[in-house]
Amino acid sequence: MSTPSPSVRPRSRLLAAFAATALLATAACGGSDSSSKSAGTQELALAIQGTPPSLEITQLNGGQSAYIWSALYDTLLYTDNQGRIQPNAAESHTYSEDRRTLTLKLRKGMTFSSGAPVDAAAVKASLERILRTPGPNQSAMAAVEAVEAPDAGTVVIELERPDGALLGNLSFLNGVIADPATMTGPAAAADPVGSGPYTLDKGATVTGSTYVLKKREDYWNAAAYPFETVKVRVMADRSAVTNALQAGELNAGSVDFTQLQPLKAKGMQITSVEATAVASLVLADRGGETAGPLGDLRVRKAINMAFDRAKLAETFLRGSGRPTAQVFSPKGGGAHDPQLDETYPHDIAAAKKLLAEAGHPDGFSVTMPSLAITKMFEPTIAQSLADIGVKVNWTPVPPQQQAAALSSKKYPMYFMIDGLAGDAASTVVFFTPRNQRNPFASTDPELAKLIDEANKAADPAAAAEAYRKVNKFAVDNAWFAPVFYIGSTWVTAEGVRYLGDGSSTYSQIRAFGTGG
Amino acid sequence: MLLYVLRRLGTGVVLAVLVTLITFLLLAPSFDGVVGNRLGPGATPEAVRALKAELGFDRPLLVQYLDWLAHAARGDFGTSLFTGEPVAHTILQRFGVTMSIVVVALGVTVVISVVLGVLAASRGGAVDRATQGVSLAGNLFPSLLLAIVLVYVFAVELEVLPATGFTPLSEDPLQWARSIAIPVAALVIAGIAGLTAQVRGTMIDELRKDYVRTLRTRGISTRSVVLRHALRNAAGPALTVLSFEFITMLGGALIIESIFAIAGFGGYAFESSLQGDVPAIMGVTVFAVLLVITVNLAVDLVNGWLNPKARIF
Repeated sequence: MSTPSPSVRPRSRLLAAFAATALLATAACGGSDSSSKSAGTQELALAIQGTPPSLEITQLNGGQSAYIWSALYDTLLYTDNQGRIQPNAAESHTYSEDRRTLTLKLRKGMTFSSGAPVDAAAVKASLERILRTPGPNQSAMAAVEAVEAPDAGTVVIELERPDGALLGNLSFLNGVIADPATMTGPAAAADPVGSGPYTLDKGATVTGSTYVLKKREDYWNAAAYPFETVKVRVMADRSAVTNALQAGELNAGSVDFTQLQPLKAKGMQITSVEATAVASLVLADRGGETAGPLGDLRVRKAINMAFDRAKLAETFLRGSGRPTAQVFSPKGGGAHDPQLDETYPHDIAAAKKLLAEAGHPDGFSVTMPSLAITKMFEPTIAQSLADIGVKVNWTPVPPQQQAAALSSKKYPMYFMIDGLAGDAASTVVFFTPRNQRNPFASTDPELAKLIDEANKAADPAAAAEAYRKVNKFAVDNAWFAPVFYIGSTWVTAEGVRYLGDGSSTYSQIRAFGTGG
Repeated sequence: MLLYVLRRLGTGVVLAVLVTLITFLLLAPSFDGVVGNRLGPGATPEAVRALKAELGFDRPLLVQYLDWLAHAARGDFGTSLFTGEPVAHTILQRFGVTMSIVVVALGVTVVISVVLGVLAASRGGAVDRATQGVSLAGNLFPSLLLAIVLVYVFAVELEVLPATGFTPLSEDPLQWARSIAIPVAALVIAGIAGLTAQVRGTMIDELRKDYVRTLRTRGISTRSVVLRHALRNAAGPALTVLSFEFITMLGGALIIESIFAIAGFGGYAFESSLQGDVPAIMGVTVFAVLLVITVNLAVDLVNGWLNPKARIF
């Protein structure tokens, strides 16, 4: 038996209507969201993708969080937007003839945000803290034997051996200067005292979300920083960056190239950088220690010939990058040689022939780590290798275990995306034994001689020539199978310009200027 | 009832200890990776040993866990290995952000679902069909898609609401309302789908029962029959669905936080897991377990208060 439906009072309709219009009502209340929008060119509002790690000097990293820490700390030297190393807190630097002693003369009149003076003792304390504290930047100072401060304006760094990457390191992670009085204190991680052009506005900063930097008017080089305020917002989702740019909540951001159209339509400026990272198959076990076939140069060459680089670049990047066969940056200082990109044409038949000559006519199997960063490329990589008979078995590796897994010698080869850097820094990353991309500590007398030449070269042109030879060695000996350079696209609102061209991939506020 | 609550809380604490122990044991194989990530490539064995000692990873696992538990019992969850910030402080800060979205979304979901469900059950006809349409649409469109569309319309095109970010309620109530408007809308549209169907179904069942007919024959007003009697009896199953919705919304908040660049609890849990930030993961686990236990207990207590027959205390 059915029950007649009782009626309810019209008041419920009002309730429903209220709920349905709540969104519009809330919107109408506030009008346009002027408070959260960027304040013209006085403010730079940009996005980074992940929460910055600790701001304590031994824990800094070279990713996008550098927009924050490089604004808080001065560095001894500075890498400009064209990749040239320039004076900064140290107004001059001179090497001894054997390039084992570096003397830095500090600029006078610099102060920390606390008001304390920046002197050689503070620089020595900062360098020694990085040198002696286990952390991500300690190994880059492996060549440093001692740091001395003979007077208040002079710092002397003694080296065990010449280090071609030292000046670059002193212009970034290893050259930061922190106030010795507070560098080990409880505030060092979240609110450090530096001598940089900005201070952290703790009242306006929300850790993990928004970092607000206020310009120091007493900074010695204030004119080089046109923005009174820098707001760095953490936005993991690239669509959020696009939306925020369109809504005027950011005035600078790196966006996915697929999302450019609506930003162009809004009249925003687009600056494309052709190469900021390189995607390559690291053929790590060049000695054939755990994967015998990789010890044979013919096999490594065959793997290089398995990739249709142009097609892969087009498929994955659609114009935001280009194919390559080398790991050095096109704007790293001189090592890059366009002709080397033609070394390994896509040729399956020739690759199979090389494998057969190496004694692997039916190919072989290899285990590779499946990483979060390479997931989307894995089917294509596996297919390219399968075309020449190399079967890939993927082993999932969670992000927190990535570093340990890749350095464990468990994986004879792996696919990786690396940010590009200057030639000296790239040489350390890709060729120094036990460093990131040389986990099997591969060495070669010819390569060691070339790197030594580069480290000892006083003349930049001579160093560039040595790095060019290092690059040619790596390509000729197929230490890697690079596939493509990945570019980036910066979008800026009216009045803000992105000044980088890929020569320096350091994330620094000085990559942005006004005008345009 | 007090004894019942204490017993449930005691069970909850035991459950939390078990879950955190399992979590700790699952994390243990990644401790070397955590040290490797902290030190970077090229770290010397001495540096690895030194950092392991500094972090306490060189001790037996059970000792490490008991040490963590002893500190956690005092409210000390340690500091993040990644940011160096106190874990408890960060969790409370992030949780406050997420809850200010989820609680509002849940409240709006309840109001809309109850109104629609009661109207559909009591009126039938076109109202019922429209309600079922709303419910179906809510199930069809994922909150992710809805959020993207709402951002495009209200933030990008109309420019009447912010596209990203969060303003704390204590800082500016109006801006707070505006900053959560789209995230709340996205969660509500997904949330009302399940709850409206539940309220409608149980209300139809209740309105068909004999006691309703008896009440009517006694001259009790329709409003009183529906709202004071039928709705009260229908509330039990709806409350259970609501507790599920709450947990689902917390999960959905991770996506919402990402789309709107809001630093909330979901994002913190996700980042901590990716980074292998052991103290943060342990803190998040404790918080999540206690939250689920508290919500379930609250639902049971409210259920018992609404319906004496459902009392289990």
